[in-house]
Order: sequence, then structure tokens, then C-alpha cells
Amino acid sequence: MTDNPTPTRLCGTDDVEPGSALLVEIDDLELAVYNVDGQFYVTDDRCTHGPGSLSEGYLDGCVIECDFHNGAFDIRTGEVVAPPCMVPIKTYEVVVENNDVMALL
Amino acid sequence: MVQITVEGKTEEQSFECEQDDTILRAALRAGKGFPYACNVGSCGNCRFQLLDGEVEHAREDAPAWGERDLKRNRYLGCQAHPKGDCRIKLRFDDAYTPEILPARTEMTLKAKSTITHDISEFFFELKTPTPFLPGQYALLGLPGVDGGRAYSMSNVTKEGSEWHFQIKRVPNGAATTCLFDRVNTGDTIKLDGPYGTAFLREDAPRDILCLAGGSGLSPMVSITRAAAVSDKLKGRQIDFVFGGRATRDVCGREFLEELPGFGDRIRFHAAISNPGPEDADWDGHTGFVHDVAHEIFGDSIRDKEIYFAGPPPMAQAVQKLLFDLKVPPEQIHFDEFY
Ligand SMILES: Cc1cc2nc3c(=O)[nH]c(=O)nc-3n(C[C@H](O)[C@H](O)[C@H](O)COP(=O)(O)OP(=O)(O)OC[C@H]3O[C@@H](n4cnc5c(N)ncnc54)[C@H](O)[C@@H]3O)c2cc1C
Ligand code: FES
Ligand code: FES
Repeated sequence: MTDNPTPTRLCGTDDVEPGSALLVEIDDLELAVYNVDGQFYVTDDRCTHGPGSLSEGYLDGCVIECDFHNGAFDIRTGEVVAPPCMVPIKTYEVVVENNDVMALL
Repeated sequence: MVQITVEGKTEEQSFECEQDDTILRAALRAGKGFPYACNVGSCGNCRFQLLDGEVEHAREDAPAWGERDLKRNRYLGCQAHPKGDCRIKLRFDDAYTPEILPARTEMTLKAKSTITHDISEFFFELKTPTPFLPGQYALLGLPGVDGGRAYSMSNVTKEGSEWHFQIKRVPNGAATTCLFDRVNTGDTIKLDGPYGTAFLREDAPRDILCLAGGSGLSPMVSITRAAAVSDKLKGRQIDFVFGGRATRDVCGREFLEELPGFGDRIRFHAAISNPGPEDADWDGHTGFVHDVAHEIFGDSIRDKEIYFAGPPPMAQAVQKLLFDLKVPPEQIHFDEFY
């Protein structure tokens, strides 16, 4: 995991509109890439509470609300900010180079 | 018969659906891992996006469905009847792929017996035998009651000719009033199942903790009955905690006492949450099931395989406790009884 220091390209910076999220699948990983006013964040896509997909949720600042049961996470830290979610969402370190959004997987 | 095509993670998949069936149930009958939990429109886990075609919800007032869903063309798989071929967007998940395909049949009431002032056991014989896994539930279709209701089986069966249910009467409840007062021995009702993913994991190399809150008795009894005689679980400790409001609600011991190993590797604990004047002689635990379980087992809960069932407030309190104790989610199996 973190012993692979090479960032993996997930998408281009233009692929995710500011204030929205994109689902990116890399091998077995399903990731949500968020654009908050030009800052990019990456978390697991699958909600820790159930079958919800976070990239389909509502992004409000740095909080992603899952649209299955309205649980929410802070996408910077993965912390839960609204129930019924309890388990934090996994976050990934992001590197933006040129127009590529990359993450340390 | 209509065709449901699913755009998901991998290549497109499709399955057939009878027009009086729902999209979720047809998918499971076809062996697909369509995410779900309650099957009655309450949990929202079976949401999918409709890309093309038309569906109609069986239950217009499904608690898990609202404005936002309508705006995004999302529907509940367990409630959506297709009006023709449909194209939907959804990610199948292997955790929901059924081991036993659910089927629709009929069953006849052979007998019933009283357990407490408001819980009775109903013994049904199936027209077409179907097996189920200990801990699973079925949808019962009762005469004059809109929509199937979910009830968990209490017995253990190989060939599946008999399914037993321990059911709590809900004051003025549509389905329970019908079942308790109007369904007589010899009567036949509709059955659809088995469903549910909170079944006994015989491969889990851990002691077992079963927590039953009131109506949650049935699946916990089934799981304990199966675990008691499972070769793979030989020597495992099985603890069963039942929680009720008062002394008159307490039950469960009678089913465990019949099992080999009772009093030794199988132990029964009871708790009441609202002792009143009539409970002066109560010598068991007092408190909610989750608190009592924590009191008895402490941090060792983390080393157990945990099964629980009961009303949503109980299920949520248990989940919170297990999260706080850092129990790995893979060790937790439950149904919320909406
Ligand atoms: C997975 C699961 C397993 C369960 N297992 C058991 C069990 O083993 N023993 C037990 O006693 N209870 C169990 N229940 C609870 C049971 O299903 C009923 O909710 C309960 O018996 C009350 O039903 P009622 O019709 O008598 O009450 P009501 O108050 O009339 O109805 C209550 C429930 O029915 C739902 N409902 C109303 N209309 C419809 C409709 N058209 N279609 C579908 N649902 C509708 C309501 O949302 C509400 O949850 C289980 C529930 C679930 C979800
Ligand atoms: S699945 Fe995300 S809040 Fe329930
Ligand atoms: S499975 Fe459909 S709402 Fe619960």
C-alpha cells in the first residue's frame, strides 16, 4: 500500500467539476475523486455504512453526504460527521501534476 | 416476463423478472448479488437508478424512498415492479449473492404454540420444500394484508419441508393481528424466501454471541440450534442474551435447554430494561441488551462472532457498542426488524 511510493493516475483535473465527485476504478479499488474549488481529495467510493456510492452523494464543501441514508464524511480526514455512518472512510494522499490527479494507493 | 438489464461495474448483465415480482427479488432468484436488507421498503439498501423503462412501487409510502430519489430516478429494488423491459444502474456485490435461491410457494399452518403473552411460534408446512440457512427470513403474504411482511425462521432444516416462526404480536398491527387471530390450523398462506444475509457462519473460528431484542428471538434461536450441533463449531462457546422490557417478556431459555451442551458451552442470559412493581422477584440482569452484554463479556466481545436481531433502536445501540469496541465488521451479522 504505502510502500508503493509511485502515485497512480486516477483522472484529469478537468474530469471532475468543482463541487462534484467522480467514480474511478483502479483494479479492485473503487475510488471517489472530489474537486473542492480546485483542491482534489480521494476516498474509497463505497460508504462504510452500506451499499451507497459516495461519488453519487452530495458534496458540500469538504463534506460528502451519502445519498443512501444521509450519513456523511469529511473527505479530508475520512472522519464521520453524520450518522448512521460510524466507521471512517479511507482517504488517500493526492498529488496533482500538470493536469493529472494522482493518488498514493 | 420482462428483461432487466444492469449496467454495473463490469460488463452488462441481465435477468428475467415476472411482472408481478420485484426487481430485487427477481435478481436474487436469478442468483445475482443485488444489495438489500429488509425487503419491505424500510432500509433503503436496495436503491438503484432507472436508466430506461418504467417501474411502479408496490408500496407508495415506502419509508426509505423520497423526493430526492424521484428527482434522480432512483427506486427501491424490493418495491419496484417493472412495467416492461428496464435498464438499470447498480453494482452487484458478492456479499448478497444468495446461497439458496429464494422462491415463491405456499405453506399451511400445522400448529401454533404460545411462548409469552405476546410471542407465539407458528409451525408451517411448505407446498414445495425449500431449504434455508439458520438466521434467514421469509416474506409472508397474508390474506387482506398489503405487502409481504418479513419474519425470521426459528428452526433448522435440511430439506425445508417445515418452516417455523416465532412472532411477536404488534398491537393493531395489520399482519400480526391477521396471523394471530384469523389464520387457523389448516389455512394456507403465501411464502417467499429465503432472504437475508445474517445467517450462521460455520467457518468463523470464534465463539458465538447471539443478542435477541424482543421479536428478535426467532433467528437467534435458529442460529443457536444450528451452531449447537455443527461439526465445524464443536467446542465453541455460545452465549445467548435475550432482552425484554419486563419479566413477562423473557423467553428463549426453553429452546436452548433442549440443546446438547446447554449449561456448559451454551449459556442463556436474560435482561429486562423496564422493571416495574411486578418484577420485584427478577434476579436476572437489568438494562438494555447491549449494555448487559458489555457488562457480562467486556472487551472479549471483540473476539466473538456476533449475531443480533431486534427492533431498530436495539440494533442501532448494538452497532454503536460494537463499533466503540472496535469489533471487525466482518464478525457482525444482523437484521433490523423494521
Ligand atoms: C428482516 C426482518 C425480519 C423480521 N423478523 C421478525 C420475526 O422473526 N419476528 C417478529 O415478530 N417480527 C419480525 N419482523 C418484524 C415484522 O416484519 C413486522 O414489521 C411486524 O410483525 C409488524 O407487522 P404488522 O403488520 O403486524 O404491524 P403494522 O404496524 O401494521 O406494520 C408494521 C410494518 O409493516 C410495514 N408495512 C406497512 N405497509 C406495508 C406494505 N404495503 N408492504 C410492506 N411493508 C409494509 C411498516 O413499514 C412497518 O414496518 C422482521 C422484520 C424484518 C425487516
Ligand atoms: S450506505 Fe451510506 S449512509 Fe448508509
Ligand atoms: S431492501 Fe428494499 S428498502 Fe430495505
